[in-house]
Amino acid sequence: MEEYQPHHEEIGFNADEAHNIVKECIDAILGGVDYNQNNVNQWTAAIVEQSLTHLVKLGKTYKLLVTCAVMQKSGSGLHTASSCFWDTTSDGTCTVRWENQTMNCIVNVFAIAIIL
Amino acid sequence: MSEVTKDKASRLLKKRGSMSSVSSPDIKMKEIRIRAKDSVSTVSYVDEPSHHDDASRPAVHMENTYQLGPGKCFPVDAVNHILKDVLTNYLQEEKYEPDLCRQMTKTIAEVVKARVKDLLIPRYKLVVIIHIGQLNNQSLHIGSRCLWDDANDTFASFVFRNTSLFALATVYAVYLE
Repeated sequence: MEEYQPHHEEIGFNADEAHNIVKECIDAILGGVDYNQNNVNQWTAAIVEQSLTHLVKLGKTYKLLVTCAVMQKSGSGLHTASSCFWDTTSDGTCTVRWENQTMNCIVNVFAIAIIL
Repeated sequence: MSEVTKDKASRLLKKRGSMSSVSSPDIKMKEIRIRAKDSVSTVSYVDEPSHHDDASRPAVHMENTYQLGPGKCFPVDAVNHILKDVLTNYLQEEKYEPDLCRQMTKTIAEVVKARVKDLLIPRYKLVVIIHIGQLNNQSLHIGSRCLWDDANDTFASFVFRNTSLFALATVYAVYLE
């Protein structure tokens, strides 16, 4: 028996779509620039705000959390982990890793469904 | 036929490196699936979120409770205290080592989540993020933006430093409407 899934109602968070959106935002802001102490604050703020605005434009009823970490490449290590207590059928997450020659950038998106 | 599919499933699970087990007596894997009321706890070591859990459980439709706001508000101070406690206990004496810290981030994330869950704050979903890095005179910026209901949703965070490493722990609490 096949279950009919109506096309307009998507179950769960679409991680691939979010991944593409966020990657485009990062490319636009950090593409081709080198690490600069003075600008990093602006960059993280811009990445997070733009990602958030674009994700909201998808029109889904989600509460969104976007985190961005920008680190200078200096040979030192960084470990990140996250643990979430939520409903796995409706909520989801997406992580985008980006790097160039002078810096690394990690963006996490967490989407939590609002039940109407 | 079912044996073949079970083998395939176990192979797929092994490839992804996930620790959630298929509950079948034939497959000898570490059974760490803990059923607590309606929750299933899975520890997953992959970078991408695993989707096989979602497909197996249909979406639950909840009845309307007509409740407008949380009965009990989220205790930010208590959670700050928990974060300080956990980070200091686990990392006070540690030196930065890649393998140790890789394991440590996952462990600390699970421990913090369990302790905040023990506070039994109803109708709150939790997101716990841990960053552990080496102190090397480099620069690092971490920022976050949230689209949520400011009245009900909140976060708590704590930074720990010792001679060779730093750790940042953040807990976001989102009210379930």
